[in-house]
Amino acid sequence: MSRKVEKILIAGRDAAAWLTALACARALGRTGVKVEVLELPSLLSPVDFYATLPTQQGLHRLLGITEDDVLRECSASLSLGQRFANWSRGNSAFMHPYDSVGVEFNNIAFSHYWVKARSKGLDVAFEDFSLGAVAAKQGRIVLNRESTRNFTKASHGYHVDAGAYVRMIKKRAMRMGVRFTATQIEDVAVEDNRITAITGADGKTFTADMFVDATGAEAALLSRLEDKANFASWDDWFLCDRMMVASGKPLTPIPAFAQVMAMVPGWVSIHPLTDRTPMVAVYNSDYGANDDEMLQTIVSLTGIQLSDDAVASSLRQGARQRPWIGNCCAIGEASITLEPLDAIPLHAIHTGLSRLITLMPVDADRIVEADRYNDYMAAYTQNVRDFQLAHYKLNKRFDETLWDRCREMAVPDSLAYKIDLFSQTGTVALYEDETFEVENWASVFIGHGLVPESYHPFVDKQPDPELINQFQQMLKFIAVEVSEMPSLMSQLEIQSPQASSARF
Amino acid sequence: MNDPFNIVIVGGGTAGWMTAAALAAMVPETMARVRLVESDEIGTVGVGEATLPQMKDFNDMIGVIESDMMQQTNATFKLGIEFVDWGYQGSSYIHPFGVHGDSIGGVAFHHQWLRALLAGEDGIGNIEDFSYAIRAARSAKFDFPSTEPGEINSTYSYAYHFDASLYAAFLRKFAERRGVQRTEGKVVDVSLNGNTGNIETIALESGDVIAGDLFIDCSGFRALLIGKALENDYEPWTDWLPCDRAVAVPCQRADTDLLPYTRATARQAGWTWRIPLQHRTGNGYVYSSQFVSDDEAASTLLAALDGEPTADPRFLNFTAGRRKVSWDRNCVAIGLSSGFLEPLESTSIYLIQAAIINLLKNFPRNHIEPAQVAEFNRLVDLEYERVRDFLILHYYANTRDDAELWRYCRSMQIPDSLEQKLSLFRQRGHIDIYHHGLFSPASWLSVYLGQGVRPTGYDPMAENMPLERTVAEIRSTGQRIADRVTIMPGHDDFIRDYCPATAPEKVMARLGAAQ
Repeated sequence: MSRKVEKILIAGRDAAAWLTALACARALGRTGVKVEVLELPSLLSPVDFYATLPTQQGLHRLLGITEDDVLRECSASLSLGQRFANWSRGNSAFMHPYDSVGVEFNNIAFSHYWVKARSKGLDVAFEDFSLGAVAAKQGRIVLNRESTRNFTKASHGYHVDAGAYVRMIKKRAMRMGVRFTATQIEDVAVEDNRITAITGADGKTFTADMFVDATGAEAALLSRLEDKANFASWDDWFLCDRMMVASGKPLTPIPAFAQVMAMVPGWVSIHPLTDRTPMVAVYNSDYGANDDEMLQTIVSLTGIQLSDDAVASSLRQGARQRPWIGNCCAIGEASITLEPLDAIPLHAIHTGLSRLITLMPVDADRIVEADRYNDYMAAYTQNVRDFQLAHYKLNKRFDETLWDRCREMAVPDSLAYKIDLFSQTGTVALYEDETFEVENWASVFIGHGLVPESYHPFVDKQPDPELINQFQQMLKFIAVEVSEMPSLMSQLEIQSPQASSARF
Repeated sequence: MNDPFNIVIVGGGTAGWMTAAALAAMVPETMARVRLVESDEIGTVGVGEATLPQMKDFNDMIGVIESDMMQQTNATFKLGIEFVDWGYQGSSYIHPFGVHGDSIGGVAFHHQWLRALLAGEDGIGNIEDFSYAIRAARSAKFDFPSTEPGEINSTYSYAYHFDASLYAAFLRKFAERRGVQRTEGKVVDVSLNGNTGNIETIALESGDVIAGDLFIDCSGFRALLIGKALENDYEPWTDWLPCDRAVAVPCQRADTDLLPYTRATARQAGWTWRIPLQHRTGNGYVYSSQFVSDDEAASTLLAALDGEPTADPRFLNFTAGRRKVSWDRNCVAIGLSSGFLEPLESTSIYLIQAAIINLLKNFPRNHIEPAQVAEFNRLVDLEYERVRDFLILHYYANTRDDAELWRYCRSMQIPDSLEQKLSLFRQRGHIDIYHHGLFSPASWLSVYLGQGVRPTGYDPMAENMPLERTVAEIRSTGQRIADRVTIMPGHDDFIRDYCPATAPEKVMARLGAAQ
């Protein structure tokens, strides 16, 4: 006889804990499963923010959260992509849009056609064939329209205030009947490689059939079940070891994208909200930046005056090889700690919890799901790690120690392979369980100056005049369509009148 | 513009002519010249008379008109594969080309079905009742699937049974018309470049020497180029797939309805196939020589025919497995030269097709880039491993106690990847969804259940729906399928209207005239 999972206990804090709690309650609450949260003190500061990929909208739908909710409750703004600046000397900035670029033709990706056109003298950037990128640069957003259906995904991510976002999720979780106790973890009792109980600050013990470790990088639960080798550090690849989050006045108009600027010791990014402008710097303290200097650097790079609530912390990138052991599954930073590049950290939470729900054990006494989960997360983790690493590896900031090291480092085989194939043939190799699609990889590769030496030979099936004509048509189409799209500011006004009027 | 790339295909069976036809259709003559060398003296294996639905995509891609092809290859439609006596003697299940029901309350149909079953609901015990493809197959009916997503008759796809040698002949005509040059002759020598190790030329018995930039080895088991000349090893998978021989014999078409599915019947030392074509029925016995002699195998096969044999039994030896590297230097192996997996799931032609598609995706411009070779090999390996695990499942998950082969298979060590899949299915009906390669969840589901692997649980989220609503939904799905299948035309009638075979002798005469 199998014993059902009747109670899921989530120990942790912030987005990882509350998103998991709400998702479990929404998915399993009606089946009688009890979801309880042991809430640890938040590690968020008022300056903190989250950046999301468009896929977060899918999670929100499952959680019963509308876009208007997000915009109203989280000072949120929409982001159509990420603009990378200063990652190479000489080359201009580029946009990685959350949208398709051009259209596939004859089963050959658009990037191959672009590579050919470029070799024939085309002087239009890859991104300019993306409705999303062009709209973003003009401060507009892309709406779903009949005329553009085959040309755009009309998708966007969000920038949200972290504290407000967690409150929004928590409020809904509680409304769904999730119970919570604010406490500290005093003890984790383990037996036979399973957690039997957690003791809180006041000596109260909590038991459950399934435990979720959402405690963050310390992995307070999982660390009791693993040996040290379970955490694979990526120090060799990710050289930045510090992170600073700061905040400044809101921008007018609000850019419809995030901006990520490389600098001597690392990079700084801007993630506009409606009521303020969060910024994050990720850097290596050995390369000319202590925390005080970093404050100055952020100001001089972004031109935004900072409020005095910046927070710096150390950063250690890596992932647990087995995020699920026994009856304990780690979600978020307890499973994978990445830098806040490419909006991946929140996505890692999303991925971890949706896979957990797909594989929620059917027998609390005989859990066979962990291996599959761990295999999946390993594949996921490798793919997103490689995506982040590509930025570093492909930088063209010559004669700067940190960046030279990044460019010269030996990246994992999985990424080296992708880069090789792309540079030789213009083809993107996709593995199983990829987060980013062909066009995302192509955008980032090309943006960083990795222009393929060749393109698919079948591109030549199309006579050159036809190709030129098609490119011109495409650009004209994009120009006309984008001119009819609403500005981000007016869209925010419509969707979230309070938030945006509060700014004026 | 550079000179066209010279492509030489060695071998003209199904693999050779599929490759030639695809290259002729997809690659402009200014880009590549295609030459195919084959010898009339060497017979082709002609495996893969049964196909998978992907075959239609291939034909559509290269511009083959379906009804023409079917007429000229004596083809019939195929909605799935029936497995008889596999899980246990007396059992029968169909692996359909289509789904089982639609998701209910956001949870895959089979989880809800398992839940209802475990709750003791009556009258829903047979998963086949919820597959449109199976219902139609069992009733010997056929019609094209609807393209309206909401319609119950949009929930399946189809493949073909055809005469593989006629298909090769059909494609030969197709390819030659599009500029492929055919050379009759036997390859007697292959010469390699002293520096690069690339194949430079092949020499024919006639004394002709043919040079090329890219050689495609479609020489079958002999693997003249990839194996013999370039010395690439073969990785045997015989521990998992012990069958190493086959005997094939066609017979006259039985008087019964033309069945729109392949039948695979488990036997003492392997299994026999039955493939219904318009003018005849293809039969064969795939067996392990460890457990039965050739004579016995032939007599078992002959005894099982449902029509008079029309030829002598032909024997075939093989080793399950694949070439460790399918593309080496300037040589790409496609078809049996790159690997052999028994035709239990009709994957032979699919694997040819997958190799061709991957070659087209990674088609060389003026010279071959090492990265595109690696990418081709990566994608081909993935396909082979996926198919391998699925085939092993049929052998491993059996409860037959009547023969040594089945006892061996039941106790063999299976790949970890399959072990994990099985354990998750048993525990909770879980099936992975792949983005690349075979097989779909519906395929896994039908084989698991058919082989007697019964889950003891299901996705806990299924219980979000009240049981009564779930059951009502399941029953109505079954009813909708049953009702719709009733008004479908019979497979026989459909074929007669759509693609009646030209008499074989006429086909041959026409093909002859075309040469």
